[in-house]
Amino acid sequence: MEMRDKLRKWREDNHRNSEQIVDVGEELINEHASKLGDDIWIIYEQVMIAALDCSRDDLAWTCLQELKRQFPGSQRVKRLAGMRLEALEKYEDASKQYDSILQDDPTNTAARKRKISILKAQGKSAEAIRELNEYLEQFVGDQEAWHELSELYINEHDYGKAAFCLEELMMTNPHNHLYCEQYAEVKYTQGGLENLELSRKYFAQALKLNNRNMRALFGLYMSASHIAASPKVNATVKKANVKYATWATNQINRAYQLAGRGTKENKCSVKAVEEMLESITMS
Amino acid sequence: MYNRNVSPSAKKSQPKLEWRSEHTSKEKKKDSHSIPILCVDCIPLFHGTLALAPMLEVALTLIDTWCKENKYVIAGYYQANERTKDFRPNQVAEKVGARIAENFSEAAMIMVDSTRFTMGCYEPILAIYDHHENKWKCRDCNVDSFEDWCEAQKITSALLEGRSYESLIDFDNHLDDLRNDWTNPEINKSVLHLC
Repeated sequence: MEMRDKLRKWREDNHRNSEQIVDVGEELINEHASKLGDDIWIIYEQVMIAALDCSRDDLAWTCLQELKRQFPGSQRVKRLAGMRLEALEKYEDASKQYDSILQDDPTNTAARKRKISILKAQGKSAEAIRELNEYLEQFVGDQEAWHELSELYINEHDYGKAAFCLEELMMTNPHNHLYCEQYAEVKYTQGGLENLELSRKYFAQALKLNNRNMRALFGLYMSASHIAASPKVNATVKKANVKYATWATNQINRAYQLAGRGTKENKCSVKAVEEMLESITMS
Repeated sequence: MYNRNVSPSAKKSQPKLEWRSEHTSKEKKKDSHSIPILCVDCIPLFHGTLALAPMLEVALTLIDTWCKENKYVIAGYYQANERTKDFRPNQVAEKVGARIAENFSEAAMIMVDSTRFTMGCYEPILAIYDHHENKWKCRDCNVDSFEDWCEAQKITSALLEGRSYESLIDFDNHLDDLRNDWTNPEINKSVLHLC
């Protein structure tokens, strides 16, 4: 059935298109439940989470009851119950729910991460950061957690610590162009000549790993042209960075032309890029 | 969309409301000699971490060029925070606002108050801040701040009902795929259609 396939694809791709999931899932559950076989349970879970996103507590409650009935005492269902409490902003009750999971199973990482999400939802960033650090001391390989921590640090403008998290991620995922590119952005934001040069190198590295990463391409242009414009660099360094920036500009131009179809907006972007090139070659 | 004084304008208003979390945008105005500043459009920027510099600089540069081509000026910055209860300007909003104010002294910073959001859009939920002596001061925002609040309310509500936000393109989407057009011509068309 087409609706079933859609839901499965969204599950596999980890899409959070909650309104669509609710639309399709609700109809599927109401009209075709009998034809779904064992798939229905994972669909209940998927639809429940989407329903929470859309403030559809009625639908979420229905899904939860079905799951509770089918899997009494399940930790996974308990976690869903906790998420519903979070959605209703009943944070203390949600926390107690997760604590009860952890009592039975202290290694339940999902429950621990939900508790940290509660802190985040309450705006308690410092505590969330502290708890996440503690979590990572135990579960040092959890990449999702390292990435979440880097974001928390960035939001607190603690770029040094964010960089450290991204370094961990780059070490364990040397072929991931996104981590390289994000690391470069953090370094760029930290500022200063040394960080700019580092950011340029990592933007370049991200491009090597994926030559279609536009953020890396733009980042290479920005970092190289800032370095070239800096009064602190000698002529050799300046010349090299002008070369990098020029190369980047040409690549950006090409990318826009490939995407272009000659649209007005893309013509503007191309013009902007040409102006960027002029400005650095003149300085 | 706002202007300083109530001044009926022959130009059609183009209200836009973006409802993604952490959406930021800038507004442009027609260059004019008179004092009332009319914001006629806005461009959504990002929906992830806002506190990183490089892509923001790229966006400002490209949008600035686009503005010049269209005789617009970047007149302000708006932000909707990830947590609904969080509607005060943070460091990012103040920094970007200040940057825009460097080029346009009467730049406004606009914060969206998501706690008061409704699908019917019956009341304005924006807080408008002006830059005075390096501080951002909140000014009274009511229906008079809009060129034509009734139209704006009708159009925005219709756009929300029609889920036009599903096709909204921001700068992040553009960086993911250059074919994504951050000027949102389709939504603009819908707005004109609803006027």
